[in-house]
Amino acid sequence: MTHEGMVHALGEIRRVLVSDGILIDLRPLLEHAPIEVVSASETRIAGTVDQLPEDRAGDEAADRAIAQAEKQNWLIKEREEFFPFNYYWDSPKETQEYLEAEWSNSVTVDEAVWRNARSMWAVANADAQVRLQLKMLITRWKVAERA
Amino acid sequence: MKVLQLMTTQKDPERNEIKFLNQFADFSASHRVLEIGCGDGRLTWRYARSVNHVVGVEIERDDLRLAMVDRPSDLEHNVVFVHADSVYLPFSKETFDLAILSWSL
Repeated sequence: MTHEGMVHALGEIRRVLVSDGILIDLRPLLEHAPIEVVSASETRIAGTVDQLPEDRAGDEAADRAIAQAEKQNWLIKEREEFFPFNYYWDSPKETQEYLEAEWSNSVTVDEAVWRNARSMWAVANADAQVRLQLKMLITRWKVAERA
Repeated sequence: MKVLQLMTTQKDPERNEIKFLNQFADFSASHRVLEIGCGDGRLTWRYARSVNHVVGVEIERDDLRLAMVDRPSDLEHNVVFVHADSVYLPFSKETFDLAILSWSL
């Protein structure tokens, strides 16, 4: 979605919300999200994903759109926090297949990271899984008083 | 897609997303909730029982179909799904108390 489309969408959300209505924005931040091999006894980082420039541009457009909505006094920020959102797979192969099928428009992963993950996986405990840890941003906005 | 159906992907088994959503959104005071980018309903099912009415909006038809197919029977009357783009929401003004932008801005 373009920046203009995002601004229009925020205007639409404001329109369909009541006065003093609340908007919750949940957003994943993909840049440098770690791929780890985890078990009950240890966590080892194989590397990180690389966010594609066009996906990063989309995040920046979203930041600008929400800043514009705030500046135009459509929305008032009330609260903001980060939290982890984890994906788990049973092997590095499954992780790679999933990311290539579902997230190829958003991230790439260097082959060296997959090699690390496979090496770590080979010597890990039987309960080991592969984890992708996303940083999530949650923000609470209140619809500003309408003129 | 066959490969994806065979593999197991666990998403947020710690349930951090719903924990934070519950802290940020007062569902007890929200009668009508709009979820934009509801996808296959993964998050919707986690809060829908706390509110009177949920409308999930999704532009991807495959995800929307999954959400409709997977809708628990006890939520048939208070959760509806609509195929729409967030740029043009097909609802009257001041329809909802709470909106959730679910990974969709």
